[in-house]
Amino acid sequence: MNTSGEPATSPATHSAATGADAALAARLAARDSAALREAIALHAGALHRVAYRMTGDAHEAEDIVQEAMLRLWDHAPNIAARHPVGSEAAGALKLGGWLQRVATNLAIDRLRRARRLSGGEFPDSEDDAPLADALIEANERDLSARALIAALPERQRAAIVLTYYEELPNAAAAEALDMNIKAFESLLLRARTALRHAYAARAEGGAL
Amino acid sequence: MSVDDIIPGSPLARALNDYPVPGLSAGFADRVLAAAENRAAPLPELRRTGGSGGRGWRMGRRIAIGAACFGALATTAAATGVLERFDIAVPSAEKVWASLTGKETPVVAAPIASKPAEPAAAALAPVVIDGPIDTPEELSEAFRRIDEVREGRSAVRRQVIDQRIDRAIERRRAAGLPLPDAEQEARLRQRIDEAQTLRQQRAGERIASRREELERKVENGETVTREDFVGPRRADPATIERREWLKQLREMSPQQRREFLRNLPPEQRRVLVEEYRKRRSEAATKLPNTSAETPASVVEPADPTVQPQI
Repeated sequence: MNTSGEPATSPATHSAATGADAALAARLAARDSAALREAIALHAGALHRVAYRMTGDAHEAEDIVQEAMLRLWDHAPNIAARHPVGSEAAGALKLGGWLQRVATNLAIDRLRRARRLSGGEFPDSEDDAPLADALIEANERDLSARALIAALPERQRAAIVLTYYEELPNAAAAEALDMNIKAFESLLLRARTALRHAYAARAEGGAL
Repeated sequence: MSVDDIIPGSPLARALNDYPVPGLSAGFADRVLAAAENRAAPLPELRRTGGSGGRGWRMGRRIAIGAACFGALATTAAATGVLERFDIAVPSAEKVWASLTGKETPVVAAPIASKPAEPAAAALAPVVIDGPIDTPEELSEAFRRIDEVREGRSAVRRQVIDQRIDRAIERRRAAGLPLPDAEQEARLRQRIDEAQTLRQQRAGERIASRREELERKVENGETVTREDFVGPRRADPATIERREWLKQLREMSPQQRREFLRNLPPEQRRVLVEEYRKRRSEAATKLPNTSAETPASVVEPADPTVQPQI
């Protein structure tokens, strides 16, 4: 499910099938700025959604997306060397999946670091400035979903974000988390169970 | 959709759907491009990246290291006898090779342990009596030297017996036969010691009476020659021949000895067997609690060549 109206599958899916990702990687390897801009246009939105829903912080999410794109820039020569344009390997290259894996891992790392530093599950700082009523109401609604997601451990959170919000197939989500499919399905089952319990607890407590 | 899926339209789904994502800030792409321009070149790879090849090599290396460690541990355990403590039989290299090649290894006697430090050679050398003895001093000197040789030979005999016991145990272990435990082994050694002590007592009594005869002879002014010390049995050609023959038999390996006995004419072999049985029964009669139960492989007939007459 994609609540913000974005397409569930990114344009990258089609481009990967035609080997366009390999061509893009080759241009990135040649240090073509236009290629990087193109990659940002293609993938940054999806990466930002994942990063934002995992961290619950827009700035943090932008940082993650930026870091992921810069890593693509750094690794482009290696990627292009392993998937030369016109070869069979070129058709198998999926930059979207690669970026998704990098962004997910970056988000998990940042969540763990934040938890170590703050000792809590939520981001360090909340905006305490007074807001208009509408904004408060929207924020409360937003916070309830965010709190449900944030109550999950990092990897379970990633599993829910990738499969529910991004509607990725289990295999693709497992690849993004660098797991085998069986382990991922087990993780996803635990995540959904935890989510239901958290929702039930909040509903009983009157938070929802 | 499985039963675990979050059902669209359910309260949980509605709650989750209320999580809009803000758009990327304006100029995000420009900021990334600027950062990419200013980004330092990435560090070179620390190790070769070969995709599954490199991973396979790393895994192979780990497997090799693991196998080497396991081999070293297993070898150490086998060498230190830890495996035997847990009743795990460790086959010898010859057995393993024989099972691989299908050839039967020849039965080889257990390796003879390095000979124990023998008493001084002078103590073991036979006492040579050249001329006649006609004074008590000369006689007592001859007795003293003979006693020295007897003690030396007795010590050697004890060591030989110990070695034979050890070899018998080794042979049984190599053949996979049950081994005597420490208590049984101690009992066996005790029986052998008792038999030895008894035999020495008897020999001592015999020697003492013979010496008294010789002392009386010297006191009466007669002379004592080598023949008086050696005794009549040694002069018997049949006895000497038999002793020589027995000596040859003892010097053979068990396999050679078996072959030799097999090649004897049946009558001669029968005579030998009868003689051996007779000696065994005599020994059993003399020592009902000891030699009758003693395994033949461990206690062999006493060597008469090392048993001085005096």
